[in-house]
Amino acid sequence: MQRKLIIIASLLISSFYSGVVHAQQTTKLAPDQNPRYLESEYKYVRNADTLNSLHGTTIQNTYKAYDWYEAKLVRRQQNREWRHQERLNGYYDSPSWGLYGGYSYPYSSFGYGWGNGYGNRWGGWGGRRWGGRASIGIGYGW
Amino acid sequence: MKLNKLLTVAAIAVSGMLIASCSRQVTRLSTDETIDISGNWNNSDSRMVAADLTDKILNANWINTHQEEHQGKKPVVIVGFVQNKSHEHIDAETFVKDVESAFIQTQKVRLVQGGKKREELRAEKADQQTNATVSSMKKFGLESGADYILQGSINSIVDAHKRQKVVYYQVNLELTNIQTNEVVWIGEKKIAKYVKN
Repeated sequence: MQRKLIIIASLLISSFYSGVVHAQQTTKLAPDQNPRYLESEYKYVRNADTLNSLHGTTIQNTYKAYDWYEAKLVRRQQNREWRHQERLNGYYDSPSWGLYGGYSYPYSSFGYGWGNGYGNRWGGWGGRRWGGRASIGIGYGW
Repeated sequence: MKLNKLLTVAAIAVSGMLIASCSRQVTRLSTDETIDISGNWNNSDSRMVAADLTDKILNANWINTHQEEHQGKKPVVIVGFVQNKSHEHIDAETFVKDVESAFIQTQKVRLVQGGKKREELRAEKADQQTNATVSSMKKFGLESGADYILQGSINSIVDAHKRQKVVYYQVNLELTNIQTNEVVWIGEKKIAKYVKN
């Protein structure tokens, strides 16, 4: 069975090759033209439509250049989104951090918060941020 | 009473000013004017590239050489694709169209349609085969074959540190003989910008 398959395949390949050769021999060549030009022509005729559809267009093959200032802005934006998401998840909504509430340190053993006299809807200035996340910096509220 | 009136007038004036200051303002500009806002690629860059490359391509030797080799016939050009390998989204059509327009206006070079527009033309021709009158029907196989293809690339180099940045763009257009693959013309335009945030 396998041998038959091999024979059929070799017959097909040889007939295709002989067809190509025959076609090349029967077509009149231009001076100095490569006699095997049809092999290339068959290859590209199949892809011509796809390639030519890009004519007159700009192929966007851009890269990301590192820009310190832009990276800083992106970082800020990401932090803002992250905090917004945390708020949506109720992370800041514990009763001790409610509007006008006093400040406390629900998670922290080293948290530090202050100034909640005009606290916002999720707590006062920075206390939670310092305590809960153990990050360095001064939180802010509005 | 008088004071009340004064206060009312003042309040209206202040609110009017506030509304006016918040409303959107649109000012028409000349397209030749250069206004750099972000430091990114903008219309001035595109205009500069178009002007420079149009001038170079129309005054280069390739047109005369072609005409000498082809009994005075004008070269036929098709526009291929431009690869944007820079760090920004740039559409080359804004300056390539200016080059194409110059080809037609100066009558030095003939231009043939390519890409999607050519597909549309062929589709229209196909439609005519069954719907148009025989005398007005356009035939297949009579298109002008291009002698040259115009291709291009856009590259950039960014050198940034903290709030300072130098951006360098290089736009290249090249014209290649379709029959021989010989590049007959290369034009380049370099633009450098210093941006401080």
